[in-house]
Amino acid sequence: MTAYVVRRFCAALLTLLGVAVILFILFRLMPGDPTAQILSPALDEAAQARLKQAFGLDLPLWQQFLIYLKNLATLEWGRSFTSGQPVASLLGHWLVNTLLLMSTGLILAIAIGIVLGIMMAARRGGALDIGATVVGLVFQAAPPFVIGILLLITFSYGMELFPSGGMFTPGADPGSTWALLTSADFLHHLVLPTLTITALYLVTPMLVMRDSMLEVLGSDYVEFARAKGLSPARVLFRHAARNALLAVVTVSSLILGFAIGGQVVIETVFSWPGMGKAMVEAALQHDYPVAQAAFFLMAAIVIGLNFLTDLSYSLLDPRIRLGSA
Amino acid sequence: MDRREFVIGAATLSANAAASRIAYAQQTGAPVEKRSIITSTAQFDPARPEIARLVAQACKSLGWEVEANPIDYNQGIQKVIMQHDYEMFLVALAGSAIRIDPNFFVYAVHHSGEHKRGGFNWMGYKSARLDAVATVQSRFMDLEDRKRPVFEAQEIIFADQPGTVLAYPQITMAHRSDKLKGLIPLLGEGIGSFWSDINMEVTGDGYSRSGMNVDVKHLNPLAVNDELEFKELSIIYDRLFRIGPDGKPVPWAATGMKVVDSKTIDITVRSGMRWHDGKPVTVEDVKFTFEYQKKWKAPFFLAALNNVVAVELPGANTVRIRLENPSAPFISNVLAAMFLIPKHIWAEIPDKAGIDDPLKFPNDKPIGSGPFKFDHWRRGSELKVSAFREHFNPPKCAGIIRIVYGSHDAIAAAIERGECDRSRYILSPALVDRLKTVKNVVARGYPSHGLYHLSYNNAIKPFDDPAFRQALNHVMPRKMISELVLLSYSDPGASIISPANAFWHNPAVKVPAEDVKKARDLLAKAGYRWNAQDRLLYPRT
Repeated sequence: MTAYVVRRFCAALLTLLGVAVILFILFRLMPGDPTAQILSPALDEAAQARLKQAFGLDLPLWQQFLIYLKNLATLEWGRSFTSGQPVASLLGHWLVNTLLLMSTGLILAIAIGIVLGIMMAARRGGALDIGATVVGLVFQAAPPFVIGILLLITFSYGMELFPSGGMFTPGADPGSTWALLTSADFLHHLVLPTLTITALYLVTPMLVMRDSMLEVLGSDYVEFARAKGLSPARVLFRHAARNALLAVVTVSSLILGFAIGGQVVIETVFSWPGMGKAMVEAALQHDYPVAQAAFFLMAAIVIGLNFLTDLSYSLLDPRIRLGSA
Repeated sequence: MDRREFVIGAATLSANAAASRIAYAQQTGAPVEKRSIITSTAQFDPARPEIARLVAQACKSLGWEVEANPIDYNQGIQKVIMQHDYEMFLVALAGSAIRIDPNFFVYAVHHSGEHKRGGFNWMGYKSARLDAVATVQSRFMDLEDRKRPVFEAQEIIFADQPGTVLAYPQITMAHRSDKLKGLIPLLGEGIGSFWSDINMEVTGDGYSRSGMNVDVKHLNPLAVNDELEFKELSIIYDRLFRIGPDGKPVPWAATGMKVVDSKTIDITVRSGMRWHDGKPVTVEDVKFTFEYQKKWKAPFFLAALNNVVAVELPGANTVRIRLENPSAPFISNVLAAMFLIPKHIWAEIPDKAGIDDPLKFPNDKPIGSGPFKFDHWRRGSELKVSAFREHFNPPKCAGIIRIVYGSHDAIAAAIERGECDRSRYILSPALVDRLKTVKNVVARGYPSHGLYHLSYNNAIKPFDDPAFRQALNHVMPRKMISELVLLSYSDPGASIISPANAFWHNPAVKVPAEDVKKARDLLAKAGYRWNAQDRLLYPRT
């Protein structure tokens, strides 16, 4: 088991290194000089040279790469070209905002999806099965901004029940982050984005769970459990679902990884200052340090979650824990 | 006729035809090459690609093929301004406060010495006459004396057409009339101006909620180089002079100024001013401000400060600035732009702050002496400032909360709902049109001296021929651009100094007639011809 963990960990690190190299090359290949963003043409040669030097842009490429690797490892992610502030603290701030935005919605989506999937598999072909599949697929197929804007039109502009965006009412800054999280104002602002995210991400865990369940329900040990006279609910949840959960866990870790960085549309619709929006802006502005670090962070989260998934397999599936096929 | 005569006749006819074709070809030159217009993408500015396409379409009427080429904004800057690798460039020259002084549009954009990597004369315009006039105007300290060369410069530039002014767009903004009163617009800034900020009265808790779709990048007065930061820092920090609502500099932290001689300026500093932490503002702080920014090469003022030889303190309230060369724009471009910074805080930076460069100093809690003091900044969400009651001209409102929205649409929706009471800067014209009909919302265009400019690369054909450029002047679809693309929140352009800048604008420079025939006549007179397919051909060399 320890050998397994160590192997998976090394694999994760290697993947991360590969990502770092690819990111470095990718950003240097982008057309357009990053210095053009911060060096307004209003500045003369001396000023431009000065800013170039301050940001380390005048070093040869291979030197930039070595500095890049060293900084990545030591979490010294440089300074943003546009704001001059340390990237690590900027990203930390945006990541927290995105996590606040996404976590409730994703947890709800996965939890509701799992429960619905189980129920759909129990009564295959029934009203719930067909109805939930259709509704779920419609929501997933719809672009995120459509769902978000529809919710805004109905509940915010129409019924005036919820605010139109932002993390909290302007001017009502409660001070510390903890006070923010527990304030009713913040939760009020969280409702519509959460509904949007839940609607968007519901269908994947739901359908995966359903299919996984159907497969499991056809296996011998489930039939045996039924034959023993256990109640249908017990068979369903304690025996079948636990085994079907493996597939959903895998899929969930993938969703979580992409959801962290990919929410630029929802963040724009709800004026939420998160990582998705920051990444897109950094890429457009050729803000290399921020864009590189943000993509790297996202890759690290996906790889990390994959690693955790691998570990959790050993909890869920005794066959892996005991090392046999 | 017999066969022999027929053959001789046919051969003669063919020979004649061939000869005359060759003769015709020798009378005309090669076809004028297809050219492209570099401009920003629609995501950056929805108007620009549309304007470029209209211009390309109009050039077809001359038998000349042009295409629009929207590319990433940074790429455009790189190619045009850094490398001078372009043919035509459609750009919006923004109407910022320091460009009200004509030096920018006349000197920086057209003087041949400014044709360098990163300079504003990317067109490569070279006119000895313009160079002389532009230099002369920058040396006259008296406004009336300066007017004459500025007027002359506008006429020269318009006649030569190194590039062409397409439109004078207004700044479209919106605000709620039931929440805000007493807004005072400033040329080029609309109701988001400093004068609005300190004079407006706000209902409710007295805090105005002003919306913007982009957050400030930082709050460092040394590293500032962008209108976004200038605007917010200018209410927290004070300046010796400010550009008044009419566009002329007025004394502010200074009470007066004396031009001792053309290279020496004496400024009387107001007494009794305080920093936000309570300490008094002294002439030492003013001297320190100039010397510190020069020492650390503050990017925006680097060029201007290189002209400052020394800053002396001859009297209790007087600061004497010695310049190397006389400079008329010094007052509006430096004295009315530079932020006064407290010596007791900045003298310790960067050493005590653990960094090597004050440009990197986060300045999380800026201490200035302006009419608003910093309250808090939640990155990406809001920036809050409150009125500083000890200021010599305190604001009428309680403060301003600058809110970051996801998009222009979100700002407009928030204004409609009443969550936001003012757009801090430009709101897209289409949204302003829509907001016009909403009750209690005032949505309109405000005068600006900015302009849409089509620059030609004067170093390449056919733009090296003044006659060609002058002909182009008459086919530019100015009316369509202002009415269709800019939704009538704009006027057709002519002079490089906008009529919105009433003092410096030369009314003798008029919008040219859109007349294809006139353009063709001008071209024909210069030797251009058209072939059978109506393709424009160069003059015979």
